[in-house]
Amino acid sequence: MFHRPKNALYKRVTRRRFLELGGIGATMLGTGSLAIGLNSTIMSTRVQAASSDDAKWKQFAGSKLTFLSENTPPSFAIRDNIKAFYDLTGIEVEVLTDDLPVVQQKAGIDLRSGKSDYILNYVQDKPIGAPFADFYADLTPMFGDDALPQDPDGYGDGAWVENFLNACGRFYSKDKVIALPYDAAIPVTFYRQDLFEQHSKSFEAEYGYRMEFTKDTTWKNVLDYATFFKKLKEGGADVPYGYAQHQGSFAWTTQLDIQRLLFSHGRWTDFDIDDKLGSKEPGKTKWGDEQSVLMLEKFKALADVSHPDNLANGTLELNTVYQSGNIAMQVQYHEFAASVEDEKTSRAAGGKTAYAVCPKGEASWIKNGGESVNGTNCGIGGIGINKNASEQVQRAAYLFAIWSTSRQLQFDVLKGLGGTPTRQSVLDMPEVKEAQKRPSKMPNALTFEAAYGVGIQDPNFVLGPKIPEANEYHSLIASETQRMLSGEMSPEETAKSLQTQIDELNGA
Amino acid sequence: MTDTSHMPLVPHDVGTQLFRARSHSVEVEAKPRTEVTERPRSFNPPAPKRYYFYLMAPAIAILAFISLYPFFWLIFLSLQDVDIGGGKWVGIDNYVKLFSDSRFINGWILLLKYSVICLAVQLTVGVMLAVVVNNSRYERFLVTALLMPMMMAPAVAGLLWLFLYNGTFGWYHWILQSLGILGSASILARADTAMIAVIVVDVWQWTPLITLIALAGLKRVPRDQLEANMVDGASPLRNFFSITLPNLYPVLLIAVLLRFMDNFRFIDSLLVLTGGGPGSATKILPVYLFEVAFKFFKLGRGAAIALTLLLVTIILGKILVRVFENPKSGRS
Amino acid sequence: MASRDVVSYETPFTRIARYASIVFVVLYLVWTLLPFLVMFMSSFKDLLEAFKLPAVGDWSGIGIFFEFTPTLKHYRSLFVDNSFATYIANSLIAAGGSAVISVIFGSLAAYSLSRVDFRGKQDLFFWIISTRMAPVVAVMVPLYSIFRSLDLVGTLPGLILAYTTFNLPFAIWILKGFFDNVPFAIEEAQMVDGATRFQAFRSILPLVAPGIGAFVVLCILFAWNDFLFAAIIGSGGAKTLPVATRELVQPQNIQWGAIMAAGVVTTLPMMALGLVIRKYLVTGLTMGAVKE
Repeated sequence: MFHRPKNALYKRVTRRRFLELGGIGATMLGTGSLAIGLNSTIMSTRVQAASSDDAKWKQFAGSKLTFLSENTPPSFAIRDNIKAFYDLTGIEVEVLTDDLPVVQQKAGIDLRSGKSDYILNYVQDKPIGAPFADFYADLTPMFGDDALPQDPDGYGDGAWVENFLNACGRFYSKDKVIALPYDAAIPVTFYRQDLFEQHSKSFEAEYGYRMEFTKDTTWKNVLDYATFFKKLKEGGADVPYGYAQHQGSFAWTTQLDIQRLLFSHGRWTDFDIDDKLGSKEPGKTKWGDEQSVLMLEKFKALADVSHPDNLANGTLELNTVYQSGNIAMQVQYHEFAASVEDEKTSRAAGGKTAYAVCPKGEASWIKNGGESVNGTNCGIGGIGINKNASEQVQRAAYLFAIWSTSRQLQFDVLKGLGGTPTRQSVLDMPEVKEAQKRPSKMPNALTFEAAYGVGIQDPNFVLGPKIPEANEYHSLIASETQRMLSGEMSPEETAKSLQTQIDELNGA
Repeated sequence: MTDTSHMPLVPHDVGTQLFRARSHSVEVEAKPRTEVTERPRSFNPPAPKRYYFYLMAPAIAILAFISLYPFFWLIFLSLQDVDIGGGKWVGIDNYVKLFSDSRFINGWILLLKYSVICLAVQLTVGVMLAVVVNNSRYERFLVTALLMPMMMAPAVAGLLWLFLYNGTFGWYHWILQSLGILGSASILARADTAMIAVIVVDVWQWTPLITLIALAGLKRVPRDQLEANMVDGASPLRNFFSITLPNLYPVLLIAVLLRFMDNFRFIDSLLVLTGGGPGSATKILPVYLFEVAFKFFKLGRGAAIALTLLLVTIILGKILVRVFENPKSGRS
Repeated sequence: MASRDVVSYETPFTRIARYASIVFVVLYLVWTLLPFLVMFMSSFKDLLEAFKLPAVGDWSGIGIFFEFTPTLKHYRSLFVDNSFATYIANSLIAAGGSAVISVIFGSLAAYSLSRVDFRGKQDLFFWIISTRMAPVVAVMVPLYSIFRSLDLVGTLPGLILAYTTFNLPFAIWILKGFFDNVPFAIEEAQMVDGATRFQAFRSILPLVAPGIGAFVVLCILFAWNDFLFAAIIGSGGAKTLPVATRELVQPQNIQWGAIMAAGVVTTLPMMALGLVIRKYLVTGLTMGAVKE
């Protein structure tokens, strides 16, 4: 009531617009409005299949909705563009942004308590989607609804980048789609090409092969590179450390780090379930087997040659360390490219950084007989609609969901603040293709080949585990491995401890 | 209290008394202190008690709504398995499971470790500081300077120290490294040093409180005793241990209890600094509870954990109130 | 030391002790105030300047801490790109509102508790005070769902009520101590002169007014500095300063400059208030157990 959001209408509207609004408001008084949840109202005018597109977009004019999202560039960009949506539909949308853990809390509480303060939610695949999938409205009936406007590109799997719809839209059932891909975080290798070239000779003299990053570069090579840099650094040379991981307090990204290493080697996954759909009863975990123990050993070996601050660096801090020139490599989410390429804050900008797919599995480290792949996982943020809301509200929210994931908007965001498109058609745009080479106006596009072209494609892609207990599972993985990294437990003890605790968690 | 002390009818010791026992709720047995004026009970007002209950009612009603109701709700919740999609009655299952939950046990151990170390350091440094500051020419200025950290929001303090500790650009990191105390890893990056780091922040913020409390206590150390001892040739150090410290004991006990309960209550700066990591090195029980309730949404289990925490707090509170109410403790 | 003016001669031991204590106090002052200095200075530094450090062990390089071109851009970004003016208003309303409510209802209750005796009073009193001591996280779980069902989440009234959970018991507890010190004889005399009971109550208010004033300020201080209630109950519509500051830690980039500026904005008013009520601080922070 006292809060005046940045995007509040009364701050943005011109006087003329205000008068128009008054007019609309006056006519709307006749139809009546209904207040729903926090700061939301719904108004509607009936439309038919035969109505014009404009009428379909405008059918909920005068309504007010809230969208709870993570504080990522796409959300900021959408907030800055919210006027365009208002012009199109007459619906006022308040975009609330927060840290992912906070979004998770608020959305979770809202959904679980049967309320709909937040009509639209940022459905981050595992942290929000997996535990709360049942609380989101199934969008499939609306996809074919004639009385609603529809996106010309459609919503099928082919309309999105491969696997994206599976990641954030489908949980535990093939038939329902609960969210549309809105933004994406795909890990790729960021490395300092300048340093690699500079030290290539001395590296080759010692290790017998070239220091470079290709799609065949393995985790063992990464270990070699990191060892090499660390030795130089500690010998007093003016070089950064080689590598660092995602640790810190953001458990999920730690889990993703470990998962990539594991999946690269024989496509190991935690449970015997359909990785893309997930399961509410995943059964016994594979933690504790030979492969997992070996991988923990290697993970520790990597940590031991990493930047000394390894355990303190969360996702953000890791990128800061890279930006400030203190590490030569990081496996980082492609959305960070824009900040790395920012000359004002980054010492790794200006062509010093090259982007490659995530490292591949090392054949000699595979114990389960599986294949070696460039294990890549993801955090796909979808936009979903709270099922607790009434049908009319859901339909109004649907307009925003499809608008915010439309081709043009994604392109605008990419150009502006550095977004991460999810629609295949955006990637196919000539301007975006152009931007994948330096000099690029859209630095994130420099990563697209590695992220979208190779990493996210099968067989490199690992999605899960989608389980209702995903958050506690992430927390367990992170805290147990961090205990191992700080020397409290051996890799074998860690694997066993994880096995017991995860099985208990899932009641297996 | 100084304001009321100028009133004619107020016992003259009120203004100077530093640690005054509260005798309110035990009027019946309370031996009236020499100069205490009539209490309402002895006056026996003609008006019905009802009148006072009316005045009390709104506050009690508000409190009942925001504390009693939630409390019973918490108990009810702790007996259910409240997970995704409604609750299921499980009896004391949530409590039984706590005993095999290593994170719960670890949380208690860390909470005690954290609180005890914080207190030990704060007490030692705080009392030393109070002794040095007491009667110094600059006492007023020093006390004002000491107040500063307590005025800062703990969450902001956490962010500030995060900045100071940062391994890339933090000044404190640089200072510690330059002094050779810290290796190349930043203080938050290792399980052992991270605990020290969060303790340091608590010490920075709250040692001044102990100092202020001790300072208030020092003002009432009987000077004639000190002087007499001095004349007998006792060293200042012996004086401190034989007279000053015993006199400080009651106020320090209160300080200890209050700080202990605050360490249970507030996790703002710790959440910001480490979030309980690395691993679970700083995951003290309230942080784990926060995770269970608001991250894993295990509200039933969370409620059970919350009640164990409440139970210990209530016991501590009981002790504290007893200390408040016992006039003896104030005048050993 | 306490006995310095008593003992006039100075032995070598006391001299050493005196120097040692001076060194100790100076070191402690530096340790207490240095973080403030860093925060204050960094809030005026451009980010790259704020990140500059001398080489490890190079104590002479410490001067670069003071080498920078002051900029107000972080403060500007708080108020222009971000809505810190709103957050300040939210903080003020939430903290002020709860302080006023707590002190009004609290003084009525405290007065009555001080004047009347009944069975179970001790238990009632203990219950009141334990409300204040309950761990915040433990209270949060049920409180959230209750507030949720009343549509109080994300609103300033909700946040005010949430702050009342710790401010009201605090006010009752402390103010009762005040009223205990006001002799009943004053009211009695008033009533003999024909004043009504309530008029008699009003007549003693001026005597406790300074104390009440100080505790309004203390209640504001507690509420202003709160983070957990504001983050969860005030989420969305009632964002306060500590929460807004925390949110400057953004996924792409931690806005350290703005965080330091926000820290200054959040802390300065409370420091000023702290100085104003200095002599009540110890009493307040120890829940009345220790008086200065």
